Amino acid sequence: MHLLEVENLTKRFGGLSAVNNVSFHVDEGEILGLIGPNGAGKTTLFNIISGFLKCDSGTVKFKDEDITGLEPHKIVNKGISRTFQVVRPFHHLPAIANVMVSCLSPRASKKLEWLKSPERKALDMLEDVGLTEMALEPAANLAHGDLKRLEIARALATEPELLLLDEPFSGMNPIETDLLTKSIVRMHLDGHTMVIVEHKLRELMRLVKRVIVLHYGEKIAEGSPKEVTKNEKVIEVYMGRVM
Amino acid sequence: MVLSYFRRTYSIFTSKVLDVPPRLLVLLFFLLFMFFPLTRPGADLLGKLTQYSILAIFAASWDFLIGRSGQLSLGHALFFGVGAYTSGALCYHFGLPLWATIPMGVLLCILVAFLVGFPCLRVKGPYLALVTLAFPIILLTVFLGLPAKYFGGENGITGLPVFFPIEFFTERGFGWKEAIYQQTLAQYYLMFLLLFISSYILYRIAYSKTGIVLVSILDDEVASKASGINTTKYKLMAFAISGLFGGLAGCLYAHWIGVAGLSTLMLTQSFVPIIITFLGGIGTIYGPIAAAYILMFLGEFVLPDAVEGLAGLMTNIGLVSLGHNLKSNITSWTGSATSPGLIFMIVIIILIIKWPTGIARSVVDKLEDLSEERELEERGKRIWKREKKKKSPS
Repeated sequence: MHLLEVENLTKRFGGLSAVNNVSFHVDEGEILGLIGPNGAGKTTLFNIISGFLKCDSGTVKFKDEDITGLEPHKIVNKGISRTFQVVRPFHHLPAIANVMVSCLSPRASKKLEWLKSPERKALDMLEDVGLTEMALEPAANLAHGDLKRLEIARALATEPELLLLDEPFSGMNPIETDLLTKSIVRMHLDGHTMVIVEHKLRELMRLVKRVIVLHYGEKIAEGSPKEVTKNEKVIEVYMGRVM
Repeated sequence: MVLSYFRRTYSIFTSKVLDVPPRLLVLLFFLLFMFFPLTRPGADLLGKLTQYSILAIFAASWDFLIGRSGQLSLGHALFFGVGAYTSGALCYHFGLPLWATIPMGVLLCILVAFLVGFPCLRVKGPYLALVTLAFPIILLTVFLGLPAKYFGGENGITGLPVFFPIEFFTERGFGWKEAIYQQTLAQYYLMFLLLFISSYILYRIAYSKTGIVLVSILDDEVASKASGINTTKYKLMAFAISGLFGGLAGCLYAHWIGVAGLSTLMLTQSFVPIIITFLGGIGTIYGPIAAAYILMFLGEFVLPDAVEGLAGLMTNIGLVSLGHNLKSNITSWTGSATSPGLIFMIVIIILIIKWPTGIARSVVDKLEDLSEERELEERGKRIWKREKKKKSPS
């Protein structure tokens, strides 16, 4: 049994197929990389899995349960959490309250340990991503790298079994990238299953064991980073054809 | 032992109330309103204060909706009118006492909030504002169109029982004039206490965990959904809570003036909470309450006096006809929060430009900054003393 099974997923925007007949699976405890050039349909795929978009055909199964077309908050409460490519913090709220919103979702409050308040849990989550000092700062005052980590803390606070990270490294400087890589590795060691969409292949390839390559909405390759980088089709897509 | 208990209570009181400037402000406000009638002000002033206490509840309920869940309602008079008419019609047709009809009016308002909320949740921003704008107008035409025996037609439902009927006092041996004054006073205290209770409840909800979730919906609904929040449920809840207190204000108003009239559903009634809230500070709950009384003094006392002085000045410098015109139409020139006139609106615009975040909020923010500075100063002194002590033995 796979944790997540996506079968023949198709999504069209007018005449354009953003995602075309894509099938893949995610096993428990692994990190799966999802790469592809701009407009390959990676974010669309994420949006469909997390319920923000309705697909035209195909199914998404989570733990053998069909979750296709459910509302986003229901999917989150089933155990799939996501982050956004462009950060979406709650500007008026301090960092700790940003995380607390997730802690107050039905799933998180059900899983709250005995005698532990949502505030305490939110603070722990902030500590995990290294934002304790910023806890009381309004999110509007945080730097971009901090917001990216805040986003991850917010996703983690819903106690997900599967975490979908949409370009976690975008717009980060090398130091922030390093910090984030470390926290992703720590999350992996804690047993979180993750799917990561990323353009920065160097960072991604260090993290993942298995990669899926999308191109114009279609899956063109799947395998370990080594296999994929040697795949002719992938090289063609990224570098262009050798004449 | 008793003494130590009192000492402890006092120390808790000082640390939790006196040392927190906004709370101290609320305490002073409460004491001022409780002991103000001891100076025996005129019945006119007391009546105005009572009216604006009711409007403050109404404004606070609107503020809760916009400031917490970000839903802009331009038709908040719907709740005010439904509350007033429900309570009034039940009194009029079934002869029920007002302590029974007011809860029913409030309940119906919650129901209406759900009914209106469902279609309203499908639209956002300016579209939501337009949709909500339509509802009170629809209801207004319905009440106007129905035969007068149901809802009183143009005149509204008149002759409703009021709080503390006059017989209550005349039976207790007060003279006629004194009884009216005592009635006004009793109503003043009742409305003020109700305002205090309802604003306390609203404030507690607004600053609770539910309030945090509501603010997250205001900031970014998509991200809130991604955090596993059922945003529809929370938005409906905000609508219902707002409708509850808006309806309560309507019921109180109907039983204060004794009439459930069409004016409770009119457009101007929808704009009263908006003016008040913008002046006090959106999303604060205490803002609209403070602003309601500020506006009362402006519109009912300060501005008419100022305009009268202006009219006198004009007559003196030779613009006799203009001065005379101004003097004879003072109320229509100045207006008040419930029926704004030209001069009133100009003053409001100036105030909003001067304090864009609201008068009450600016004051409280400034006080909090001051208290923070004071705290830092004290902490600095303590650290300095400790360092000095460390150094002195060596």
